[in-house]
Amino acid sequence: MIVVEDLCVRVGTKFILKDVNVEIPTNTWTCLVGPNGAGKTTFLKALLGVTPYSGSLRDNGVEVFRNHQRNVAFVPQHPNIPVGMTVAEYVMLGRSKRDGWGRESTSSRQLVHSILELTQLFGLHRQFVTSLSGGEMQRALIARALAQEPELILLDEPTSALDLHHQIATLNNVEVLKEKGVTIVSTMHDITLAAMYAERIVVIHEGKKLLDGPSQSVIHSPELKEAFDNRINVFTLDSGRPVIVANKEN
Amino acid sequence: MKLPNQSSPPLSRMWSWRITFVAGLILLVVVVMGLSFGPIAINFQKILRTLVGAPGSLTGQERTLLLYLRLPRVILAGLVGAALATSGAVYQSVFRNPLADPYLLGTAAGAGLGATLAITSSHANIYSLLPLFSFVGGVLAVLVTFFISGRFFAEPNSLLLSGIAVGSFATAIQTYLQQRHSSALRPVYSWILGELTAANWTIVRWSSVYILIAIAILISISKQLDGLMLSDEESFSLGINPNRLRVIAVLAATLATATAVSASGLIGFVGIVVPHLVRGITHRVTNRSLATIAMIGASFLVLADLGARTLLSPAELPIGVITAFVGAPFFLFVLRRKRVTG
Repeated sequence: MIVVEDLCVRVGTKFILKDVNVEIPTNTWTCLVGPNGAGKTTFLKALLGVTPYSGSLRDNGVEVFRNHQRNVAFVPQHPNIPVGMTVAEYVMLGRSKRDGWGRESTSSRQLVHSILELTQLFGLHRQFVTSLSGGEMQRALIARALAQEPELILLDEPTSALDLHHQIATLNNVEVLKEKGVTIVSTMHDITLAAMYAERIVVIHEGKKLLDGPSQSVIHSPELKEAFDNRINVFTLDSGRPVIVANKEN
Repeated sequence: MKLPNQSSPPLSRMWSWRITFVAGLILLVVVVMGLSFGPIAINFQKILRTLVGAPGSLTGQERTLLLYLRLPRVILAGLVGAALATSGAVYQSVFRNPLADPYLLGTAAGAGLGATLAITSSHANIYSLLPLFSFVGGVLAVLVTFFISGRFFAEPNSLLLSGIAVGSFATAIQTYLQQRHSSALRPVYSWILGELTAANWTIVRWSSVYILIAIAILISISKQLDGLMLSDEESFSLGINPNRLRVIAVLAATLATATAVSASGLIGFVGIVVPHLVRGITHRVTNRSLATIAMIGASFLVLADLGARTLLSPAELPIGVITAFVGAPFFLFVLRRKRVTG
């Protein structure tokens, strides 16, 4: 369980996040939604432990800031793509914390092999990461996160650069982690996809939390519309699945 | 899911030690060449016999030439080459900038200012302290660069820019001093172009301590440097403290560079050419190969010094001229080849 109390993040005098209180239960998928600049990425970085904050942010009772002991995987929206590194090496970086930098144990080798097959990167694994397409790079990122065998995985817009088919494929690969007891926190612009995968949704607007709760109730709430200036419409398909689309007229 | 059997080869061929072995062989051959060739040629076998103390070793003038002139000079060239090449490779990783070179953070300009102060001072005692002055100057310049850029590693580019500003400032003072003391023009100029003529065992002794310590530190953290090629959030999640790692890497690389500069003046291009050469030939991340880069850097400078000694014999060319003359076209060749082959 991650407990966030009165979380504030400031840059100079400007609050990026202000008085955020939320609880993220273990082994659930929680999705942060909100317009651009709402503070979603900052919230993820605070959860990772790299961004200084005031208030408290405890993961299983331990304050997370600069805590290197935790095993958290982070999938950024804009990764730095290293030159001269093969896909297999890139994915193997995920084992560094367990095996030690530059080492690879036999068990890690087997794990990475199976992850490469799962993410359909086997066969590409001797190519350089710089030669990958956008979709392949996103799979490599997810593969590296899987190789970490994390307790918590943070994903910043994991689907933003992908076509519809690859969006589903990527999110399915992440969903596998839930069977292993992993807690998943992601940001996603596509609220329809968020509702499909996440059990819980947290709505953030201008650095404040407007609402959090089970996906289905948040999707149909007035706070979600408010966060997007009432410029979204929520429809329900015959199957009961909600679909969120932008509203052209005001 | 089918798992590979236990004997499956490594998925990720991190580094082939055969390349390191070849680099070692190259260094060995180049060192023997450096000892043997020159205005007076010395027999290979006799050199080896003298070095291992076997019967039939050199005597008289040749022995003095080998042990007190060529050997310290070749060793110093090797040390300086290794220091510059390794720190160049490390700076390129730390700043994620393929054009970063060891003189980037104001080290060169600071060391140049220190050297000019020593040369222009009227006391002969101070002139003999030139290496110390340039060393202190180089380290001070880097510290000022760190200090000015404030939150130095939050944004590596701000560190780079403040390095450029500090460097220009130090160069301005140095040029002023140089113009005030016109008699100093020639020694300052030849120092700036780099020289190994003053090499002796004393210089080799103190510079080898700092350079070898710095290279050992850099090689010991080299595998973690791979993590710095990712974003800071990613490297943090992989168990690295990116800022601390950068500080350690930059300080060790600065120690190596400042020592090299104070021992031999400003020798350009080694820090850029050698890492790119190794990277261009092997197509690999350079961090894995710091030991190889050190050895190739050493070989490169020993060869360049051999050229400096022999091309205009008995006169000497500044070694910096050779490294730039060979280095620049070669660099363009590697760049072009990389662009063609990706």
